[in-house]
Amino acid sequence: MELNEILRPNYCRVLKSHTKTEALIELVDLLDKEGTVTDIEELKREIFYREQIMSTGIGQGIGIPHVRFAGISEPVILVGVKPAGFEDYESLDGEPVKMIFMILVGGEQHKEYLRILSLLVHRLKDEAFRTSLTSVENSESVYAVLTGESH
Amino acid sequence: MTGIELFLGEHLNPEKLNALLLLGVVLFGGTWVGRLFQLWKIPQVVGYIGLGLALGNTGLGWIDLTTMSHLQPFSTFALGLIGFMIGGELKIKTIKKYGKQFTTILLMESLGAFVVVSILITLASWFFFKNWSFAISLGLLMGSISSATAPAATTDVLWENKTKGPLTTIILGIVAMDDAVALLLFAVSTSVVGILMGNGGDVSLSSSLLDLVWEVGIAVVMGAGMGFILYRVIRSFSDEDKILAFSIGAILLLIGLAIFLGVDIILAAMSMGFFITNFAPRRSKETFHLVERFTPPVFILFFVMVGAKLDIKGLTSVTVILAVIYLLGRIGGKSIGAITGSVLSRAPRSVRRYLPFSLLSQAGVAIGLSIVAGQVFLGPLGDTIVMVVTATTFVVQLAGPPLVKFAITRAGEVGLNITEEDLIRQSRASDIADKDIPTIKENADIKSILKIFAERDNLYYPVVNEEGVLKGILPIEKLKDTFIASDIAEFLLALDIMDQAEFICRPDTEASEVRDIFKNRGLSSIPVVDENGIVYGMIEYRRMQQLITRRLLELKSKATALEKV
Repeated sequence: MELNEILRPNYCRVLKSHTKTEALIELVDLLDKEGTVTDIEELKREIFYREQIMSTGIGQGIGIPHVRFAGISEPVILVGVKPAGFEDYESLDGEPVKMIFMILVGGEQHKEYLRILSLLVHRLKDEAFRTSLTSVENSESVYAVLTGESH
Repeated sequence: MTGIELFLGEHLNPEKLNALLLLGVVLFGGTWVGRLFQLWKIPQVVGYIGLGLALGNTGLGWIDLTTMSHLQPFSTFALGLIGFMIGGELKIKTIKKYGKQFTTILLMESLGAFVVVSILITLASWFFFKNWSFAISLGLLMGSISSATAPAATTDVLWENKTKGPLTTIILGIVAMDDAVALLLFAVSTSVVGILMGNGGDVSLSSSLLDLVWEVGIAVVMGAGMGFILYRVIRSFSDEDKILAFSIGAILLLIGLAIFLGVDIILAAMSMGFFITNFAPRRSKETFHLVERFTPPVFILFFVMVGAKLDIKGLTSVTVILAVIYLLGRIGGKSIGAITGSVLSRAPRSVRRYLPFSLLSQAGVAIGLSIVAGQVFLGPLGDTIVMVVTATTFVVQLAGPPLVKFAITRAGEVGLNITEEDLIRQSRASDIADKDIPTIKENADIKSILKIFAERDNLYYPVVNEEGVLKGILPIEKLKDTFIASDIAEFLLALDIMDQAEFICRPDTEASEVRDIFKNRGLSSIPVVDENGIVYGMIEYRRMQQLITRRLLELKSKATALEKV
């Protein structure tokens, strides 16, 4: 499984939101127009429930909200970048979160889910990659940096 | 009489109930009354007989002689089934083990009753009639009749309570065999009485004994033969429906032949049951199980008929006194005999103590013999016997089953003869759930989850929120999967890796329902939650099976332990 196969240009955005909550909603709403998930509201509830139990800000400016959701057939990654960062993300290291990778998989896609998480974290270990991602100016560049097309 | 009364009289006359309607009343009412008695902790058979009394000769008279003769085949069929089932319980291994105890106790208790009743009735009737030969005749005949113990009501209590142990085995052996002793004693007695009363023409000792050899011998041979045929046929069938139909067919065929040849039905059926249980133990287990499921309606009908037949309206004070003496003499004689026999044969303590309570029942054979006596010795001798036996049957059939229940309960044998199926049927989710299973909080990290898995051998744990409400199940495979993403394991929570619970159950859900869900859905675990969703426990299929096997072994060793005291 390759991350590039799952990433979609229209699921990669420079976020306009100013808070974590707005950001998560902005990301989920990207789905709405595509019709991938029927019960968007339920999905939002699940995402926020998970965040409430423990923040998915894993440090170094990265947030990986994730959920297994029965209404999803194929794994989806929604990427949101905010160079200024979200102060209220409650990240592990207390730093503002600048990159959000929302991972949505089907209820039964347990292994895929863990693989995506693992691949993503692996790629984000590269500091240069993180820097170029947080320096983007528009949504198109987000996708380009992620898939390596900008190099 | 008004038109309405006329109409009602014509259409709603209970004496004109058609056979099917009556069968319906008997089975429907009987089951209901039996259940009611069970709730009152009285053996259900007392309820059936009580209903019979209410509907029959003694009570409302709805079941009259004509109806009874129409329904007679059902009663005969029931006797055949009872014989077959008892035969099925008599394993050669058990007989070998209990052989000495069987014969000693059997002889002592039946002869005990015979001797005591004969002497007491002889003395009492001499006191009333001042005629020695009449008194001795009455004494001998009543004595021989008193030695019989009816298997039906007794075994019904044993089966209802799923008993197992030495007392159960001895009771089964004795109630099945002492009819043969009673027949022998009766045959000898009738010959002696024939001489005493001076009408011994057709009841010479040799012809009586010959009759007996015919009755018993042919019955045993016929039963074994039919057992062999049944065994050959069920060997080649695997379809349950066919095995059931064929087994019932074989039993009916055997009963029919027994009636045709005038031999003992119970003995014939018993010998058939005995044959197949010992020569095809594995295949016959299924057959007995199938026949057993078929028996309840036939038995209910049989016991209601037993009650309906009893007529105690013609009792005089002399017959009442003789009945009381007969009753006390029979109880005393059987008790002394049973205790002496148990002590002589070194039977377990439970047998010594409680067997006397289990030998009271008297029905078919005793009534049958009294009727034979009534026909052979016309006049006061025969009439007195019929009246006394009928009246005492009335008493012991109602008092006997509760005493059997008392005996087996005190002996600790109730509920020990339980199959996996019975155990599941009696249990609820709360009985089979692992109640002290630790719950995993939804915000628990992988490290603390691993610790829980390491400390116990369960493979599935309930995941709960702060309030203890079930959120999902965490199977060991999901934990294993986290190795895929070992570098992010520290960010994963129970909530991220758990499964949704597909099925949940309540503590009071029946265990059979839980088992069906496991089987039909291919699940491995089901959480048990209360009405607020709070986790009560967890049922793992694997552990449920272990629990049941362990429980069955416990019961088995309990039954074995009873033999040693």
